[in-house]
Amino acid sequence: MKQVEKPMEQVYALAFDRDATHLNLTASQGYLFSRIDGTTPWRLLREIGGLPLEEADTCLAQWIEEGLIEVVSDGSTQASPVDAASDADEPESEQGAAIGIDESQIDDRLEIDSEAQRRILEFETTLGLSYDRLLDVPRGADPKVVKRAYFKLSKEFHPDRYFRREIGNHAARLEQIFKKILEAYEILSDPDLCQLENQQDSSPETDVGSPLDPATESSGDQNADPIPQEPQPLSKLERLRQRMPFKIDHAAIAARRHKAQEIFRAAESSLKAGRLSEAEANIRIAISFDPHCAEFKEALGTVRIQAAGTRATKLLNGSSERMSDGELREGLTLLEDILIYRPHDPKLNERAARICLQLGKFELAKGYVETLIERVSESSEHHVLAGRIFRELNDVEGAVSAFEMALKLDGENLDARRALASVRLGARDSARGGKS
Amino acid sequence: MSRVIGIDLGTTNSCVAVVENGQPTVIPNSGGYKTTPSMFGISQDGKRLVGHLAKRQAITNARNTISAAKRLIGRRFDDPEVQKSIDLSPFEIVRGANDDPRIKAGGKTFTCPEISGIILREMKRVAEEYLHETVQEAVITVPAHFNDTQRQCTKDAGKIAGLEVLRIINEPTAAALAYGMNRAGEERIAVYDLGGGTFDISILDISDGVVEVLATSGKTFLGGEDFDRRIVEHLLEWFEETEGMDLRGDTMALQRLKDASEKAKCDLSMRDTVEINLPFIASDSEGPRHLNYELTRENLENLVRDIVEGTIKSVEQCCGDAGVKPEDIDQIVLVGGQSRMPLVQKRVTEFFGKRPHKGVNPDEVVGLGAAIHAAALLDSENDMLLLDVTPLSLGIGTFGGHFAKLIDRNTTVPVNKGHTFTTTQDDQSAVKIRVLQGESDLAGENDLLGEFVLSGIRPAPKGEPEIEVSFDIDANGIVSVSARDLATDQEQSITVSSTGTLSDSEIDEIIEEHDLYEVQLRD
Repeated sequence: MKQVEKPMEQVYALAFDRDATHLNLTASQGYLFSRIDGTTPWRLLREIGGLPLEEADTCLAQWIEEGLIEVVSDGSTQASPVDAASDADEPESEQGAAIGIDESQIDDRLEIDSEAQRRILEFETTLGLSYDRLLDVPRGADPKVVKRAYFKLSKEFHPDRYFRREIGNHAARLEQIFKKILEAYEILSDPDLCQLENQQDSSPETDVGSPLDPATESSGDQNADPIPQEPQPLSKLERLRQRMPFKIDHAAIAARRHKAQEIFRAAESSLKAGRLSEAEANIRIAISFDPHCAEFKEALGTVRIQAAGTRATKLLNGSSERMSDGELREGLTLLEDILIYRPHDPKLNERAARICLQLGKFELAKGYVETLIERVSESSEHHVLAGRIFRELNDVEGAVSAFEMALKLDGENLDARRALASVRLGARDSARGGKS
Repeated sequence: MSRVIGIDLGTTNSCVAVVENGQPTVIPNSGGYKTTPSMFGISQDGKRLVGHLAKRQAITNARNTISAAKRLIGRRFDDPEVQKSIDLSPFEIVRGANDDPRIKAGGKTFTCPEISGIILREMKRVAEEYLHETVQEAVITVPAHFNDTQRQCTKDAGKIAGLEVLRIINEPTAAALAYGMNRAGEERIAVYDLGGGTFDISILDISDGVVEVLATSGKTFLGGEDFDRRIVEHLLEWFEETEGMDLRGDTMALQRLKDASEKAKCDLSMRDTVEINLPFIASDSEGPRHLNYELTRENLENLVRDIVEGTIKSVEQCCGDAGVKPEDIDQIVLVGGQSRMPLVQKRVTEFFGKRPHKGVNPDEVVGLGAAIHAAALLDSENDMLLLDVTPLSLGIGTFGGHFAKLIDRNTTVPVNKGHTFTTTQDDQSAVKIRVLQGESDLAGENDLLGEFVLSGIRPAPKGEPEIEVSFDIDANGIVSVSARDLATDQEQSITVSSTGTLSDSEIDEIIEEHDLYEVQLRD
């Protein structure tokens, strides 16, 4: 591909004496062609066509070369072409008209200089552009580049810049602009969202195939057809819908949902009959048909808890001292399952802590006992349990303070008293041993 | 235009700063100190004392000297943290009319915003003496994990002090502003803030004067005071073992132990051993008893190791939330007096694999940051910009008691976010939108900010109607929520106002009363 020259401020019109109907254009290219109206400069043309910028540049350059379009005004004679703000200094200029800012909105009496007001008005007109164009970064830009652009625009448009100053309608504009910049930044910084965004932005028409791919090119006759619509920025909701593809085909989704409901009802009757595993299996199928139904997920959770609960009842009722290591380990696995659903249940945590202590998993035991005490801090027994665990972990300080707390809560607690005495003795002995 | 100050309202000490000629400066109080104890006391003869004056008489007048009110502000009386304070404080904490904790001193009952207001009034006075002009506006800092009520109560405290609070900003964020001022280039920093009563960790991006919060995490009720308490407990035990006397019931002895412990702790940051010497700490029939104990740095480290490890766990979590690895952090800024402890510095260094930044004073940097933010808001010359965030997640309650988050905590404001919801019953004609704030997945465990009903939904099978709920937070943090049925275009909305623990009229009463005292003081 040859190097493309980009005289950004030049304005083009269709050449009178040339017939463009022989052109073999994609829908997007056709749309770009239709926008060449003798008032819009290259800089804007390349942005409104919905094509990647380089593609737009190549097309324009090629049409010029073929003599299909010609220059009607050379923007380079006017103020610096890159600085859009100074372009607008001359309201009569082509650029001012093209950007379409309402000069009457600029008010010298406000506590914001007219240059900044112009920038705000101008930026406001570009809010419909795609996120990467809004932040003026290349498509697929590195998150660092995106952040830099976001920071730069924030410095200009964050409402705090004009804190407490009388800036009239511009306050609302700034807020709107900043929110939009923030949205763009958040989406472009997230690779997943960014990908979805790009998919939808590269196909502003219904044409889903890549407009750049020659294989999908439509014939010349057709390219007049899908063109006339302006590329409307998608509303927030439409974007949301597109991010949630399951919402798009309503008929298919309704069918799947219906099926899911049927299966779910079957699951409910299994549940009523007490056939837990059958119910669980059915709910899983229902979820695979309608993965976004919170009701199913909740039901699945409930069933799982019930199942785990049944299996665990024996465990929770029996005394763990009389169980073998194998049984304990199985019990612990079950408890861990239930704890996923009820992570703060004191009984479960206490049980888990005791079993871990018995199995010699002291670090785990510590975690459970900490949760337990967080929930029920006034039980002397809980602190004794904690003390035992700390002692096993060689945390003498921790053990002492736990046993003391246990005693403080229940002065009659003999376990605590004995344990405290033995820990203190042990600590003193080792301290003496260390000194001598 | 009068100048705007920045105030770091700390649990144990407060600090006030101002930007003068583009230069942020800490304002010393009349005693020449750059920080002022956050203490308020009523002396035996009924005099009201603040700051160093209050601290000086704390030992002899422990029951009437209030400290660490920040630990109570904006909480409910039944909050376990409040209950913990009741056990540990020498002064009396009682249940107030609005279910808030109130503090008794000198025969009078004070609300927490009132105590904080008195401290803020003192900081305002310090600034006015230094600047030779009246000060009416301030930016005040709070811990990052403070919730809406705690923030609103701090604002109310400002009002009681006669200050208009322009903004409440997070302490670690303020520290980042102070660190980032006049620094070029892009940096990712971690602010480890271990103060007197709170612990916060934040990860931020700074680039050419713009500060963006990536993540914060922290623990309420963890700070230097817990370190002191561990020493006090240790000494009490030791004294009980060697002398057979329990000093726990003796408020005066406790206050002396507390002071000595705090001092010993600070000294141990520079030395390896200190001698704690408290003559005549108690007496019984056998005569007076003295406490003399040698505390080593190693002793202290063993006493508090688990607290320090707890903070490192939070740091780890915060890195996870921000999606950054410890080695991605360019600078670590330590804030809060307790971060001076060598053990803290060692563990932070080990975690991040690099030494913390040395260029800021951990006691002053938050106050400076608050002043810088104040200047950035009002002075067009100052081009620091804080991309402030919402402290807690916002969302609505959904079917089955769940909480659907629409705006995650640490989201930059102003912001607008929406999501589509639907009905749960056939031909349901109205939905109730309950606006909640908090981090729990269960609606019931979060705070209810407001609620409204959207009615007139067109009859349809459940799951068909599309109701768009959108949340909007403006630049001043005001939240509005709207719900719209996309089929009928019916719309309802609500603006959520934050409330503290005091009503407006209660605040006005307090202000009137304090103005009276002010007059008495001047006389």
